[in-house]
Amino acid sequence: MLLDVLQGAEAGSFIIFRDSASCPGRRLLKSYVHAALKREEEVHVLEFEASEEELPTGLDVHCAQRLHIHGGFADPLGWIKRSSFTVHQFTSRSISTLISSQPQSKSALLVIDSLSWLVRHLDPVVICKRLQEIRRGGAVKTIIGLLHADLHQISVVGSVCHLASTVISVEPRTNGQWVLAKTTKRTKSGKVLQEEELFSIQENLTVTVHSKVSHTTQTQPETDSVEADPAANLTFNLHLSEMEREAKEKVALPFVFSQEKKSALLNAGQGAGRILYEPDANDDFDQEDPDEDLDV
Amino acid sequence: MAAPVRSMNNPSGITCNTTSFQKKSRSKLVSIPGTRPSVQNGQLLVSTGVTSLDYVIGGGLAVGTLLLIEEDRYDSYSRMLLKYFLAEGVVCGHKLFVASAQDHPDDILQELPAPILDDVTSPQPVQEQAQSSDPDSADDMKIAWRYQNLPKVQTALASSSRFGHYYDVSKTMSPDMRQASKCHTFYLAEQPPVESTATSSMGEAYTDLLKTIQQVIHQQGFDGSAPQSKVRNVLRLGLHSLGSTLWGDDLCCRENPIQSHGLTTFLYALRALLRSSLSVAMVTVPSHLIQSRVLMGRITRLSDTAIALESFRGSEKETNPLYKDYHGLLHVRQVPHLNCLVCEVPDTKDLAFKLKRKQFTIEVGHTTAMATPSPPLPSPALPSPPSASLTNR
Repeated sequence: MLLDVLQGAEAGSFIIFRDSASCPGRRLLKSYVHAALKREEEVHVLEFEASEEELPTGLDVHCAQRLHIHGGFADPLGWIKRSSFTVHQFTSRSISTLISSQPQSKSALLVIDSLSWLVRHLDPVVICKRLQEIRRGGAVKTIIGLLHADLHQISVVGSVCHLASTVISVEPRTNGQWVLAKTTKRTKSGKVLQEEELFSIQENLTVTVHSKVSHTTQTQPETDSVEADPAANLTFNLHLSEMEREAKEKVALPFVFSQEKKSALLNAGQGAGRILYEPDANDDFDQEDPDEDLDV
Repeated sequence: MAAPVRSMNNPSGITCNTTSFQKKSRSKLVSIPGTRPSVQNGQLLVSTGVTSLDYVIGGGLAVGTLLLIEEDRYDSYSRMLLKYFLAEGVVCGHKLFVASAQDHPDDILQELPAPILDDVTSPQPVQEQAQSSDPDSADDMKIAWRYQNLPKVQTALASSSRFGHYYDVSKTMSPDMRQASKCHTFYLAEQPPVESTATSSMGEAYTDLLKTIQQVIHQQGFDGSAPQSKVRNVLRLGLHSLGSTLWGDDLCCRENPIQSHGLTTFLYALRALLRSSLSVAMVTVPSHLIQSRVLMGRITRLSDTAIALESFRGSEKETNPLYKDYHGLLHVRQVPHLNCLVCEVPDTKDLAFKLKRKQFTIEVGHTTAMATPSPPLPSPALPSPPSASLTNR
């Protein structure tokens, strides 16, 4: 599923790469950018965490011309007026002017590297609202954000991730060189898909998925131990042999209404006792009714 | 018994109505389509659109009350309940009001499930169930004859009389049908910015929403101020994901929110508005994001009925064999006390929901599953005691 996400998403999706200090996710973000450039999409990057020279290294030269970097790394808050983009410009209007200023103004990919920087400097409520505005604005086809989850309160991370259509959490794996990615994807119909995969990134920024981690294999041994035969170590015999079973089935149970028993009861044979009764005028037909004798 | 006899002897008695006994005629309110009086307390009820949910909360939603739904983690099932609620309104010809900050209300309305209106097809689920129980009876156990004819235990909840409609989730409602019902929408992003006149404890978004609702209720005459010209009707309000950040509320981001009274004030005012009008509201809240348990408790208290959905998606319960037949648990947090001290307590507290191919149903949950012979489970996998889900947190 990780590869499906990297293949590109439908319009209006919002993907968050969630990482932590122990397992940085920038390289995965970069490989996504690489894949998008290969698909000939326009990519706009709001860069706060790396210099403008750092990101294009490793990408193809002729791909790089579709990459537009709006750097806020040197001066993120606009103190010395050196940046082309500051944190406070993060509004849907200024983003759409940024994107439409490029000659090929078809729907573009917006990469935010990283959301954490915005969360540090803006109110989370404001960020959520603006992200939603940008998403519905139409100028941007897909929003990609990198979020360092260990830098913020869980509540803020939860609120931002609640907005996203796809969340990819990158976690370190103790054994081996592969990295674990947990992908949670919400489809438009409300279905939720989840998968855990081990992946690695090659030198040329292609992602290789090695194996899928499924939970069923983890829980399987547990249930096996539980399902151990409880009748194994008993001091008495619970099992039936074939002969014993036959004998058991021959026994007529006392309260089972078999066909013979029924017919025997219905057609009473000759010589059986019988009660003959002719109703009398003073008979009490209904024991329950106390007012029987009244004319009502 | 005596009175009708006398009036029969005296024919004039029929006209001058001397007898104190009167045939219990139905009140005028019942003439509203899609409503019926409650069996317990005579409150006028409307259906939530999910028949089994109606049963769980005591027959249906009383008109003038507020149903709070705590969203599941990914808001998939709570959104479905909201759509059911609105679809039921469309089918019954009620007026709708949809408010949302995330998706456009028109998008929500486009996804309404298609009703199964044909009465021939509606008993089908019952037949399916009968068929599914047949294989069980095939390898029948020898059983004492007294117990042979006992009714089968039914897990699906349904009341005896039919109320509400069934919907097919796999299809969407036809546009003609949708457009036949009058619908007001409120989309926060499209609202013209209004300069807030006073520093009210509600946020701007909530003030705006409340004013719009008030206007709709007043202009359409749901509050009885302007007599409704033709037929009386019910207004169904569906408010999606209140309290989320998109409503400008920081309940979800902070332990001690700055606007801690925003949502509670809004709910208080909304409930007052509902009580005095022919309207009923369903509000969903992302409770898993709300940090302060105290605030969540207040929000629950300010609504009449409160239920919580807990989806198994992404939790370890998904792989638990105990829950394999279900998609999530349904907790009834609160049932309304309407005009009386006691409320109708649901028969059972452990409820689970599942989404079959077409229908969303709520069933009696895992204790019945535990009663069938199944391997004993390790204690951590056991569900939390059901009583914990109903008591106040």
